[in-house]
Amino acid sequence: MIKVVGLKKSFGEKKVLNGIDEHISPGEVVAVIGPSGSGKSTFLRCLNRLEEPTDGEIFLDGELINGPKSDINAIRQKMGMVFQQFNLFPHLTVKKNITLAPVTLKIMSQADADKKAMELLERVGLADKAEAYPNSLSGGQKQRVAIARALAMNPEVMLFDEPTSALDPEMVGEVLDVMKELADSGMTMVIVTHEMGFAREVASRVLFIDQGVVMESGTPAEVLLNPQNERTQNFLSKVL
Amino acid sequence: MEWFETIQSQFERCFIQDDRYMMLVKGLGVTIRVSLLALLLGVVIGFLIALCNLSKSKILRAIGKVYTDVIRGTPSVTQLMIIYFVIFATVHWPKWIIAAIAFGINSGAYVSEIFRAGILSIDKGQTEAGRSLGLSSAQTMMKIVLPQAIKNIFPTLINEFIVLIKETAIVGYVGLMDIQKAGDFIKSATFIAFMPLISTAIIYYVLIKILNIGLGKVEKALRKSDIR
Repeated sequence: MIKVVGLKKSFGEKKVLNGIDEHISPGEVVAVIGPSGSGKSTFLRCLNRLEEPTDGEIFLDGELINGPKSDINAIRQKMGMVFQQFNLFPHLTVKKNITLAPVTLKIMSQADADKKAMELLERVGLADKAEAYPNSLSGGQKQRVAIARALAMNPEVMLFDEPTSALDPEMVGEVLDVMKELADSGMTMVIVTHEMGFAREVASRVLFIDQGVVMESGTPAEVLLNPQNERTQNFLSKVL
Repeated sequence: MEWFETIQSQFERCFIQDDRYMMLVKGLGVTIRVSLLALLLGVVIGFLIALCNLSKSKILRAIGKVYTDVIRGTPSVTQLMIIYFVIFATVHWPKWIIAAIAFGINSGAYVSEIFRAGILSIDKGQTEAGRSLGLSSAQTMMKIVLPQAIKNIFPTLINEFIVLIKETAIVGYVGLMDIQKAGDFIKSATFIAFMPLISTAIIYYVLIKILNIGLGKVEKALRKSDIR
């Protein structure tokens, strides 16, 4: 589904990604872990070109997404993204946050989008907040709305950039529950996370990224419980 | 009592005699027309110049920079006279429209800086969220960034509107009879300074007061989503 070939990214002189080759299959739930500054967030943001790759190629369903002729707006419609800082639109109600993109892009009528928004809000347990403004919500609620907003575009893949890192501890669970439900429904997901417990429970595969390369990849049991790479062992000994 | 009679006779000579009050009424109409059109042009030009200044293109940035630099570096009277007597010398549009264009061009330079600051004040994450949903950069600007930016810059924008309205008091230089010119004309015709000039000041004051109250209500409506 997503194929990454020789992905490199530098910010000026600073090399962040040093050649990543990766293949993500439909239905996979890939947890990306690694120390801060390892390049894991940059890797995720390159997948939908919020960061422009310096070198390498990325394909979605066999279609090159970072070529000169790639229609990035069309491609992004197939890739939902959830941010650490939620990034809800504060000037719009929860429902409008969800319907803005499908209606603006003329994928749905306002009425259809409203209906879909209510279904999604039901799914994330926030139907009663449809007319509220984001500023009145808690962090956990905001992130659940953000997930619903991304789902409104019917994406093929969902990208999560540390979705629980900005949350108070007691709110992490409600967001992870929604993500788990999403994973169980068969959604292809790539999740940059520090939640090792969640990675172990929900991920079908764990990627350990350090110094801009994939150091180790495998099932949660392999990578988290029996790491082969010295750096992985070192990292896990600090966080587990 | 004598004082009162003086005032009364001055009032009659300034406003009643020869229907001179009509000059102020017509002048008010000119001031309002020029101000409203200039305001509109100023906002449109200001937004476009702000986009130039924020653009990735070096050429657009250069255009924006030169525009703001030149307009802010010269007096508005000079600009008004150049536009009226040089650039539009052979164009036979109504005077007030040409004057409004001049004020719009002037105001645009100041409004562009307000817009630029407003757009920059919106978190980058908002743009990223919009783009990640598949919206184009123009759609993201119009639907997500600009509505929030306008809310933030609204008080500063009102201030600029007020400055603009008062600035139009120089349209007499190109032969337009606005409130200021009307007051001045009555002064010359009657040799009375106090009554017409104070009236001019009061009319401007009331005009701006009304604008302030109206826009204050708009601002309140814009702040609706801030309730926590």
